[in-house]
Amino acid sequence: MREIEDFTLIGKTILRREDSYLLRGKAQFLDDLPEPRGLIHLAFVLSPHASAEILAIDTAAARALPGVIDVLTGEDLAADVPPYAPVIELAGYRGVARPVVARGRVRHVGEYVAVILAESPYAAQDALDLVGVEYEPLPAVATIADGLAPGAPVVHEALGDNVIFRTRFATEGFEARFAAGEVVLEEEFSLGRVTGVMIEPRGCMAWPDPIATGITLWTSTQIPHIVRTAIAEHLGMAEANLRVVTPAVGGGFGTKCHLYPDEILVVALARRYGRAVKWVQDRREDLLTNVHAREHVLRLRVAVGRDGVIAAADLDVRTNCGAYPNHPFSPTLEATAAVRMMPGPYRIRAYRYEAASVLTHTAPTGAYRGTGQPSAFLAIEGMMDRIGRRLGLDPAEVRRRNVVRPEDFPYVNVVGVRYDTGSYLPSLERGLEMIGYDAFRRAQPADRLVDGRYRGIGICNYTEVSGTGAPGWRVRGFARMPGFDSSRVVVEPDGRVAVYVSQADAGQGHFTTFAQIAADRLGVAWEDVTVIEGDTAKTPYGTGTFASRGSVVGGGSVIRGSAKVGEKIRRIAGYMLGCEPSRLALGGGRVFDRDDPGRGLTLREVAETAYSMNNLPLPQGEEHGLEATDYYDPPMVTMANGTHVVEVAVDPDDGRVEILRYAVVHDCGRVINPKIVAGQVHGATVQGIGEALMEEIVYDGGGQHLNASLLDYLIPTAMDAPDLALGHIETPSIDTVAGIKGAAEGGLTGAVPAIANAVGDALAGLGVSITRVPLRPSTIVGLIAAARAARAGAA
Amino acid sequence: MSRARVTVRLTVNGRAYVREVEPRYLLADFLRHELGLTGTHIGCEHGVCGACTVLIDGKTGRSCLQFAAALDGASITTVEGIAGEGPLHPVQEAFHEAHALQCGYCTPGFLMTTIEFLAANPDPTRDQIRQALTNNMCRCTGYLNIIEAVEDAARRLRAQEGGA
Amino acid sequence: MKPAAFAYHRPASLEEALSLLAVHGAEARVLSGGQSLVPLMNMRILSPAVLIDINRCRELAYIRREGGMIACGALARQGEAEASGLVAATLPLLASALPHVGVRASRNFGTLCGSLAHADPLAELPSVAAALEARFVIASARGRREVGAEAFFVSALTNCIEPDEMLAEVRFPVAAAGARTAFLEVANRGHGFAVAGVAATLEVDAAGRCAGVRLAAMGAGDTTVRLAAAEALIEDEGLSAAAIAAAGEAARAAVEPTADVHASAEYRAGLIGVLVGRALRAMAAAGPR
Repeated sequence: MREIEDFTLIGKTILRREDSYLLRGKAQFLDDLPEPRGLIHLAFVLSPHASAEILAIDTAAARALPGVIDVLTGEDLAADVPPYAPVIELAGYRGVARPVVARGRVRHVGEYVAVILAESPYAAQDALDLVGVEYEPLPAVATIADGLAPGAPVVHEALGDNVIFRTRFATEGFEARFAAGEVVLEEEFSLGRVTGVMIEPRGCMAWPDPIATGITLWTSTQIPHIVRTAIAEHLGMAEANLRVVTPAVGGGFGTKCHLYPDEILVVALARRYGRAVKWVQDRREDLLTNVHAREHVLRLRVAVGRDGVIAAADLDVRTNCGAYPNHPFSPTLEATAAVRMMPGPYRIRAYRYEAASVLTHTAPTGAYRGTGQPSAFLAIEGMMDRIGRRLGLDPAEVRRRNVVRPEDFPYVNVVGVRYDTGSYLPSLERGLEMIGYDAFRRAQPADRLVDGRYRGIGICNYTEVSGTGAPGWRVRGFARMPGFDSSRVVVEPDGRVAVYVSQADAGQGHFTTFAQIAADRLGVAWEDVTVIEGDTAKTPYGTGTFASRGSVVGGGSVIRGSAKVGEKIRRIAGYMLGCEPSRLALGGGRVFDRDDPGRGLTLREVAETAYSMNNLPLPQGEEHGLEATDYYDPPMVTMANGTHVVEVAVDPDDGRVEILRYAVVHDCGRVINPKIVAGQVHGATVQGIGEALMEEIVYDGGGQHLNASLLDYLIPTAMDAPDLALGHIETPSIDTVAGIKGAAEGGLTGAVPAIANAVGDALAGLGVSITRVPLRPSTIVGLIAAARAARAGAA
Repeated sequence: MSRARVTVRLTVNGRAYVREVEPRYLLADFLRHELGLTGTHIGCEHGVCGACTVLIDGKTGRSCLQFAAALDGASITTVEGIAGEGPLHPVQEAFHEAHALQCGYCTPGFLMTTIEFLAANPDPTRDQIRQALTNNMCRCTGYLNIIEAVEDAARRLRAQEGGA
Repeated sequence: MKPAAFAYHRPASLEEALSLLAVHGAEARVLSGGQSLVPLMNMRILSPAVLIDINRCRELAYIRREGGMIACGALARQGEAEASGLVAATLPLLASALPHVGVRASRNFGTLCGSLAHADPLAELPSVAAALEARFVIASARGRREVGAEAFFVSALTNCIEPDEMLAEVRFPVAAAGARTAFLEVANRGHGFAVAGVAATLEVDAAGRCAGVRLAAMGAGDTTVRLAAAEALIEDEGLSAAAIAAAGEAARAAVEPTADVHASAEYRAGLIGVLVGRALRAMAAAGPR
């Protein structure tokens, strides 16, 4: 992509336009939309069992309740709504389908067993209590280990066992390269199961068009186009007859970039009843049924030279994928993300991996901010510290010796992922400097005790896959993941601009940043650009907003679309002015002669010609209208990066971890709006603090979900959010439009390993090895007690 | 199970309303669905997240934990009532300028908390702000820009007070 | 998540409330602040057929001194107690515990009596009441009775109130001159949902010696637990470092916490021991108030 330098608005903080209605309570989230007449409210009967046969469902009492329209079971819906499955074309994946409402069997607590159709949400809730379901409970498995145990209950009998996906890889001559290492270290790392906890749970409403066969689905999703294609395909509708619209979306974090059974069902029921159908998720349903994430176990073995340089790495990853494959990613997402990203910013050239996804009787897992990356970096960054401790090297120095260096770019990692540009070493050095690393190490007492608490520093260098294009998804087998995004940039007859983007904002500020980009490229006032997205009827096709792709792919497309329409403006204006279009420039709402700026036209004057609103002719062969559509398919990925360095104090008595200082260096290439980028870094980092220190969905051994409320699933509050020192490095991509890279996930990816390593550093003298998050106070005290007992036993 | 409706009289954002509702009808649902004031959002319905926080007789309360009928006679302020159609309130301005909201779903609750907090603590420390903000949860911002916004709002309100 | 329907009563006086309770008894619940009750109703863990809303019984809205006691009526809000100069001056332990109770929005409405009647062993106020040897005034149409914390808290989420009764008042003894207090808790995050905690008071004589200590623990078991062995140790041996360490150990040994998703039982027991030590050291170091 040719270098673009003449930015006027790209790179500047512009305050968000969406704030004005959000701050006044005028935004329309799903449940804020005006309700159509005759609206049917849904509520779901949820399975209380992890694994059971459904023997009978008695709906009579519920049906008899005033205000209840109907009660439908899986059997009642079987003809309308068959089970659905993601389309994955990857060796080692064995797909199974997920019923929209269970038939015969339930496979996790919270699975939909029946659906109430009622006149009001209160009546629907009342009816739930009256549905009698008779179950025959069956043995269940909840953990990876139990799912893999010989003779374990099989979640899907058709598969024969619980391994739904397995993949292997090894570089040539791996064994010899591994054997050549002088020191071998091995550790098993694991992460608890977490989930997105958007403050707005999900919801959807399907609204049949009374005079046509079409249906509009309003749904709180990050992926409207993917949802439309999947539902239309699944229900046998013409895609043009289904319009998917996203209202304001109250947070996504990946949790909302899946197709859920209820989204299919509201459309099917709206067709069946000819009435609008709405479902609003409550918090309990969110925690029970929305995709969870992580619950990964990573066994990492490295062979290292005495100099601390990794000669070879061997990684075994297992993920708990729950009872059904998520749609559209399937369980391959987390597994392949973890193994593909483990080499991260380090020069690892001999690599072997194996990954397996294990079915259990728990809620499906799927994408959540960072996907496999926090796991991958917990392992490799944890290993960096262990190498240092084993060899007597400073952990920062171990990283310096292994990192991909500035002169290595562009660099292709061991599994074939191209790192276009990056600032791995500068970022590390900057982070160390910001925290005063050397001074800390010099002052750190041998026993690490300061005022009764153990002090330690943790580092995480991360790479952040962003802006994944079609090639990046294809190589991993995601057949329904377009990869591209698109825009239609229109100069309207009044000379102002409309930008239609294929994405769907969930708080990232698209309505501001995309306007900023188009205004920059078209030389118009930012206020004169309107952004429209989240509507399949208005915007061209695309992938959606997740996996740190919005600014790279959506933003890139807006730049390209603006450039295309800019060319047309120049052609028409050149004809009108009688000069070569190449002499013309855009700026100040005008198109003008570069060498004679006084000679020019307003965009409105050009638009009037384009829209045949005056008597002026168009150039020969030029069509009417003043717009351009662009489909931008970026490269496989563009790699952002950064470094987290954090100092903690660990109280050995109560087990509390206090974050004392926290430095984040981040490099997301060309920045569009610095304040919005900083907001992404803050938010992701604090989510990472939650994952590192407190968050975990807990199932008991029998698959009972133990914490489906915000009293029991703890997310950070303001008191858990430390001040962050932010360091910005801007290394534009050489592969993407304008050098933009993604920024949304690195904060989380960096935080989890950095905090784990800081606690590990603090407690290293006690013989404590930190291998699992979350690190709750009780966990820390337990680890210290076990280490003391082990030492006492050894002495 | 009684489905009898009771009369509830509430003043909301300065305007008097009389409605007949079931006693079990939650204030959050009353505001959103009876009065169409959908700026008050529901996030958990068990009192933890704070998205539904409104001012009830000047004090923050969870509208998901209040029965509208039980508040008969009370005066409620929702996000729609902070500035009405006029210029943004200083707290809203401060949130805007600090980029203290992303998805904005939790924001109405945070505004209520901030207004109540700064009325009682016009010149708070950052620690006091953090403590006060435990009244609400945000999953997008990591709170840091909200803390900045509260500090800035405090300055704005003090200046306004001083200038008045 | 919406509450089930109920018959709603809004008595204007305690007497009227008690006569409603006499009629509806077991199928009724008393609504005051609703901050513990309504979440359970929204989740339909509780679906009372009758709700008796006492918020119009203004006679119950008081925090006042009655001789050596501070009497708090059933409508005394936690937030009012937190802001009360009387509470700050006479019940420093309660004052220091209140900021830990729920959040501002819940304290604005939640009542002292409501939280106590909820009898959550992981809540702050039951331990404060136990440490202060509060008296619980339970009223019914049959009359009034008064019990102490040990009788009041029966088990987790269960108190000794009969179906036709309600907690009309809680009475806290005014702190002795020079009394020192400490309230400490630990949660899995910075604020909210503690896994365990300790409420402590210490009285010292003119010579600075321990003249009485009371320790109660939350997260210690089915109910708040008075740590009698630890108290006895301090009262016998004073506030030496060794005695404090022994008291912490005695506290750890005395409690029988349960495990849940937040913490193991072993951790809770150990933490209570740690917090007892910290509370005693802090009180020993503090000067007279």
